[in-house]
Amino acid sequence: MRNSWDPIAEMRATNRALKRQMMRDLDVMSRRQLLRRGGTLVAGASAASILFKAGIPLHASAQEETPPLPEYGEIPENLMGSGEVRVQSWGGAFQDAQREAYFQPFQELTGITVIESEGPDPSQIKAMVDTGNVEQDVVQMDRADVIFLLQQGDYWEPIDYSLFDVDNIAEYHRFEYSVDMLPYATVIGYRTDAFPEGPAGQADFWNTEAFPGPRTTSGGTGGVTPFLEAAVVAAGTPMDAIYPIDLDAAFASLGALRPDVVRFWEAGAQPAQMLTDNEAVMAHSWNGRTHAIMQEGAPVDVQWNEAQLATDVWAIPKGAANAENAQKFAAFITLPVSQARLSYLIPYGSVNAASAELMTPEQLATLPTSPEYLEKMWVRDIDWWVENLETVLNTWNEWILS
Amino acid sequence: MATLTTEMAAAPREAQSARFAALRRREQWRYLFLLAPALVFLTAFYGYPVASMLMRAFYDPSWGGQNFAPLVEASSTVEVLGLSLPMNVYLRVFWITLQIALVTTVCTLLLGYPVAYALSSISPGRANLLMMLVLIPFWTSILVRSYAWMVLLGQEGIINEALTAAGAIENPIRLLNTRFAVYLGMVHILLPFMILPLYAVMRGIDRNLMRAAGNLGAPPAAVFRRIFLPLSLPGIAAGCLLVFILSLGFYITPQLLGGQRDVMVSMLIQQQVDLLKWGFGSALALVLLVLALVIYLVFTRLLGVERVFGSARA
Repeated sequence: MRNSWDPIAEMRATNRALKRQMMRDLDVMSRRQLLRRGGTLVAGASAASILFKAGIPLHASAQEETPPLPEYGEIPENLMGSGEVRVQSWGGAFQDAQREAYFQPFQELTGITVIESEGPDPSQIKAMVDTGNVEQDVVQMDRADVIFLLQQGDYWEPIDYSLFDVDNIAEYHRFEYSVDMLPYATVIGYRTDAFPEGPAGQADFWNTEAFPGPRTTSGGTGGVTPFLEAAVVAAGTPMDAIYPIDLDAAFASLGALRPDVVRFWEAGAQPAQMLTDNEAVMAHSWNGRTHAIMQEGAPVDVQWNEAQLATDVWAIPKGAANAENAQKFAAFITLPVSQARLSYLIPYGSVNAASAELMTPEQLATLPTSPEYLEKMWVRDIDWWVENLETVLNTWNEWILS
Repeated sequence: MATLTTEMAAAPREAQSARFAALRRREQWRYLFLLAPALVFLTAFYGYPVASMLMRAFYDPSWGGQNFAPLVEASSTVEVLGLSLPMNVYLRVFWITLQIALVTTVCTLLLGYPVAYALSSISPGRANLLMMLVLIPFWTSILVRSYAWMVLLGQEGIINEALTAAGAIENPIRLLNTRFAVYLGMVHILLPFMILPLYAVMRGIDRNLMRAAGNLGAPPAAVFRRIFLPLSLPGIAAGCLLVFILSLGFYITPQLLGGQRDVMVSMLIQQQVDLLKWGFGSALALVLLVLALVIYLVFTRLLGVERVFGSARA
């Protein structure tokens, strides 16, 4: 049954827009407050301002130390075009960095105008394709969401790899309906004033006797998933035997930590804010966001051991008006220079093997894709999650209220 | 003159009342005409979208009542007054939601009543000025106010810092991410919805009644209990109804301020929408709507619609 117009999608889009506007207002407000009160509210205001900055690594301070961005040379002829491409990413200073790293160069070099929006949402994609009113040409997503929608029907355009730098993009980064574009890690962030030594891995995250204090880890609402992988690793499962996850063991392990979890976070900005404000002394947090608060001066450090590597993808909604330009856009962004430029601005990894040549060894060492870190991490198994997401969330709902 | 009176008197009674009835009908039609623009607007932009969203509960993913099945499936039982009732996670979330709404309503009433009383007792000019203090927070966005509470209640927030500095506590106490924080935030946000109807009703109460009672020897407590309180009842009813029903749908505030177990129906619905189970999400929304309507009907039936909303014009 297909409706000509979908109120749920409409409502969600409106809510998101409203929330973004509020966040902006709040940002401005908290900055003003900070100025007026001359810092007495520093702790407080930071709670508010970090929430959106955390996203959202601030590259201004990083730029002082880093060399200028690598420049584009000749770009492949088949990426040239005309018209426009409508792109949806995650907003804030993160999208600002994307704009500087590759949106603007794409527009200048290919002649295709980039029109940006924020806040990709699988349920919105579903509504748009169902109603034949596709407002985005290419969206940045978790691949689990792409597959999840595929199971519901024909929602995505296949990726045209004839345009891509396939020699340098490993096969495990290429899929029929999406292409990897941003590797990131879920690390253990901790307060250095609480633990100068820091935890060695997930077992220490769970060891509340040796490392006392409130924790935060991801929950099952707000579009995120509970960190079951860390739970089983903490309980002694080796990293290469995580999948398939034993749900009973994982939730039992989470249950042991539960009394010390001050809150299960629902958005990536929350753990960063909670570390900054000392709401939690240890957090499962995304590496880019944690890096951002460290740069802002929060007494926080990161343990890469037993972290999780995951990757965001570009995907093209079925029936997108500028699907061809979207293919070129995705191909451009996975070029070595594009990937390297973003890593210069934010410590997120690259899916293009040739990017490494454009970066210094010191820079590479800070990325989640550096060999040194890679061997300490496991890779999130998207297929397992697609298969088990509903079971996990239903179990989660029962568990959280028990 | 005389002829006219005679004529009117002579006219058959039924014909006269029929004419009046026709006149009244025409008048009512005219009022309906005034309602038309708002009615058309609401039907097109509110009624239709809400109805088509709720209809999803019956056809997504297939026709039938399967979306309501999980709500009545019992995964455990709960003892209430010796009766063993079916219980599951969804019912529990509804129960938590009702609990939060109830406590919020009672707290706003206890805090709002004295404020409304004071505002209605001073001169209108001064009352308007003070009313601004009630209204300014009312005009600030819910999200901003919820964040403000996070700033106040945090481990390194102003309250904990002040208490530590004053030596009242040694280690910061947990205020944020608790049910208490949810109540605090929701009461703060919903207080104006309680004060405004209370104030409207209290302004309309004739203070001479109380003076008369005092003159006749009633002590102040009796004057309040036997005269003012009963007369302000419609305001209490309207305020409580408004606050309770608004509380049922709260999302942002409990999400930001609440702890692990403070899950409200709205969060459950959001989770289902993300899971692309829109049919079940709609079913949850429908149940919440029916719940609100039932509460509304019970309330107005017990007190009378006229008493709840009618006397605001007094």
